[in-house]
Amino acid sequence: MEIAYVAVIILFCLGMYTIITKKNLIKIVIGITIVESSLILLLMLVGYKPGGTAPILDKRYEIVVDPITQALALTTIVIGGSVTAVMLAMVIKLHKRYRTLNIDEIRKLRG
Amino acid sequence: MSRLNERFTKLYKIGLVITFAYFLLVLFYDIHNLGTDRKRYLSEHYISQGVQETGATNLVASVLYDYRAFDTLGEATMILTAATVLAFLVPITKATMFGTPFKSIVNQTVKLIIPYIAVLGAYLILFGHISPGGGFVGGVVLSIIAILLTLTYSVEFSEYIFKPDQKKFIEDIGAIGFVLLGLLGIFTGSNFLSNGQANFGTGNAGEVFSAGLMPFINLMIGLKVSAGLAIIFNSLIKEK
Repeated sequence: MEIAYVAVIILFCLGMYTIITKKNLIKIVIGITIVESSLILLLMLVGYKPGGTAPILDKRYEIVVDPITQALALTTIVIGGSVTAVMLAMVIKLHKRYRTLNIDEIRKLRG
Repeated sequence: MSRLNERFTKLYKIGLVITFAYFLLVLFYDIHNLGTDRKRYLSEHYISQGVQETGATNLVASVLYDYRAFDTLGEATMILTAATVLAFLVPITKATMFGTPFKSIVNQTVKLIIPYIAVLGAYLILFGHISPGGGFVGGVVLSIIAILLTLTYSVEFSEYIFKPDQKKFIEDIGAIGFVLLGLLGIFTGSNFLSNGQANFGTGNAGEVFSAGLMPFINLMIGLKVSAGLAIIFNSLIKEK
């Protein structure tokens, strides 16, 4: 249980390190998705109870995990997918205009 | 000197991330303690009363489409916005990304599995309130049909089978239908997007036509997500 929180922290910091250090725009988008998936894992961990089943009550169950965090995780996944698609479209437009993906060479970016 | 400077910058960034990791460790320790020694009244209420109040055995669906349905409306609007932005941003209709065609093995396999994917997507959407699944998952599975056609044949063939105007029309039907189903709650004298509260007939829990408006909202979201994701993928793959 506690080791999974450490996994969340490692994934989150790996994503942040990717965002900070990499110069390629596609790699920055990959870093943002890594951060997002670590947050989904955190939501699952917050709602978890030891020995619990999935929140589908077709029989009588003793322990059921929290359904609210699972719904919030679904929201996170959907919004993350939309935002990733928009980010990739922006990257395509930038590459079409500047012919490069290196953020050091994209100089004239304003506003 | 510049190499030393570069190395120092890299060390600085690594130190920044490690400090951040320590901060997260303290934060998560608090979150973990909060989860163990305090009772969660809202989720206890959903687990004990949710099936009687909404009629859906899938509690995630009852949270998504009944208790927090307004949240889901905003979430579905997000996909509509992303599809609209992509359709505006990448308006080129000519595609030359996949120049070399696949062998006939790939083409025949894709033809063989497309009906099964359609059946699986329809099952996930229509049984979303009584079993694992739902509108979002089923919509993603249905949009795989258009994506597979695009990848194996070409963008032109995929848009000949599913015309872009038809896809936009289906997405609009999903968006408007969701809002109209929500307005039904106001017409019967209750709140916007209320379902179990407005007595739409919860039915016997575990049947297909139970849980009031929930199967119809699932259907609308499934149509919307499938059309929206197909539009997003085809817009991203188009290139001059």
